[in-house]
Amino acid sequence: MRRVRFRCPGLSTKLSRFGVLASLFMVSPVFAHGVAQGDKGYIQEVSGVHLVPFAYLGAKHMATGYDHVLFLLGVIFFLYRLKDVSVYVSLFAFGHSSTMLLGVYFGWNVSAYLVDAIIGLSVVYKGLDNLGAFRRWFGRQPNTKLAVLIFGFFHGLGLATKILEYELDPNGLVPNLLSFNVGVEIGQLVALSAILIAMGYWRRSASFQRHAYGANVLLMSAGFILVGYQLTGFFVN
Amino acid sequence: MYNANEPNETELPSSASLLKSTLIAFVVAAIILVTIVLPAEYAIDPTGIGSALGLTRMGEIKSQLAEEAEADAGSEINVGSVGQRVPAPPAGPPTDATPAGTAQADPAPAGEENGWRDTTEITIAPEEAIELKLVMAKGEKAAYEWDAGRGSLNFNEHGDGNGQSIEYGKGRATPSRQGELIAAFDGYHGWFWRNRSEVPVSLTLRTRGSYSEIKRTR
Repeated sequence: MRRVRFRCPGLSTKLSRFGVLASLFMVSPVFAHGVAQGDKGYIQEVSGVHLVPFAYLGAKHMATGYDHVLFLLGVIFFLYRLKDVSVYVSLFAFGHSSTMLLGVYFGWNVSAYLVDAIIGLSVVYKGLDNLGAFRRWFGRQPNTKLAVLIFGFFHGLGLATKILEYELDPNGLVPNLLSFNVGVEIGQLVALSAILIAMGYWRRSASFQRHAYGANVLLMSAGFILVGYQLTGFFVN
Repeated sequence: MYNANEPNETELPSSASLLKSTLIAFVVAAIILVTIVLPAEYAIDPTGIGSALGLTRMGEIKSQLAEEAEADAGSEINVGSVGQRVPAPPAGPPTDATPAGTAQADPAPAGEENGWRDTTEITIAPEEAIELKLVMAKGEKAAYEWDAGRGSLNFNEHGDGNGQSIEYGKGRATPSRQGELIAAFDGYHGWFWRNRSEVPVSLTLRTRGSYSEIKRTR
């Protein structure tokens, strides 16, 4: 059995110590029976390789993760050609896959709150970018593809911190993790399809050009709320 | 004003293709919902596809954990002051809320054996869980070893009592374990075991040290 050390912000569990130390005396503020619920509960109950369930969990995480979906919405807001959409989405996928896999495998101990605050900033950035703010303010357009890739890295770090909190069993970790990653991309495609259909209707109406500005301001606002929410969490906890 | 051009009419999908896309999206969503989401979240699996994919088991475990958490809520253990050796009976035995189910035997202390004070043997059916606790005062130490025969068990080693709780350790699919339990406060300190394998597992727990008694609390 491979032993992988997890460093989790929430729970001070070090799986690598199981069976090694005779007496574990880790004080953690969990409730009496320490049994997690839902997705985390399931993950903590099973051991070994479970490819389809982990793919499902990855897809669910992405499709219901509003921070990732908001960023995706910002990225494709003014992309009308499916070819452009696929280029940008691939860059985003490459970015978040790489840091997610590395972060979980090596147990990078980063603050989930700070990473999520940066993810909120990525939404703000994309809103401003869509409004043409950087060209207006600085006279030049920052590379949009590079920005998507770099923010993709941070989104992947955010995914990694969530997976570390799930405390995956070291037994079957790598296949389960790769499967989770495949699920994340499937979930992204599902979310993207829904966004593209909704945007398709909207772009055909005259209101798209009138409200595009306001919509990107709203997007920024949502991003700022995420930043504030996560930074507050960082200082409160 | 924008970092984009206005879309050409030719770059936009036609109304008919949008309607078609919506219809396809709805049908795909319905299929995914019935074959994947409902099995994985609620173990509702009318097609049997969720079972084949291994997702229905996820739904079953989630439902079971949710039901047990609901049953556990409110079964607070109050042990009084154990240090005075007069442990008050638990206020509302937790076993009322969570009956032992199909676990096949009661704790059967078999007396001294190779220097151990108590040996407890219990067979745990698949999906069932049991708890054995030592009644201990703060600072008391007890040595233990347990094994799951030829099988393995998920375990959570913890203590609770008088509103306090602590987790000493946990693990998945563990065949055996030994160590020393040091009570962090007056209360019940011991183990929760769950059999997530497909066959019954024979658990043997051996204990010695300073504790007033061993109890099955689930």
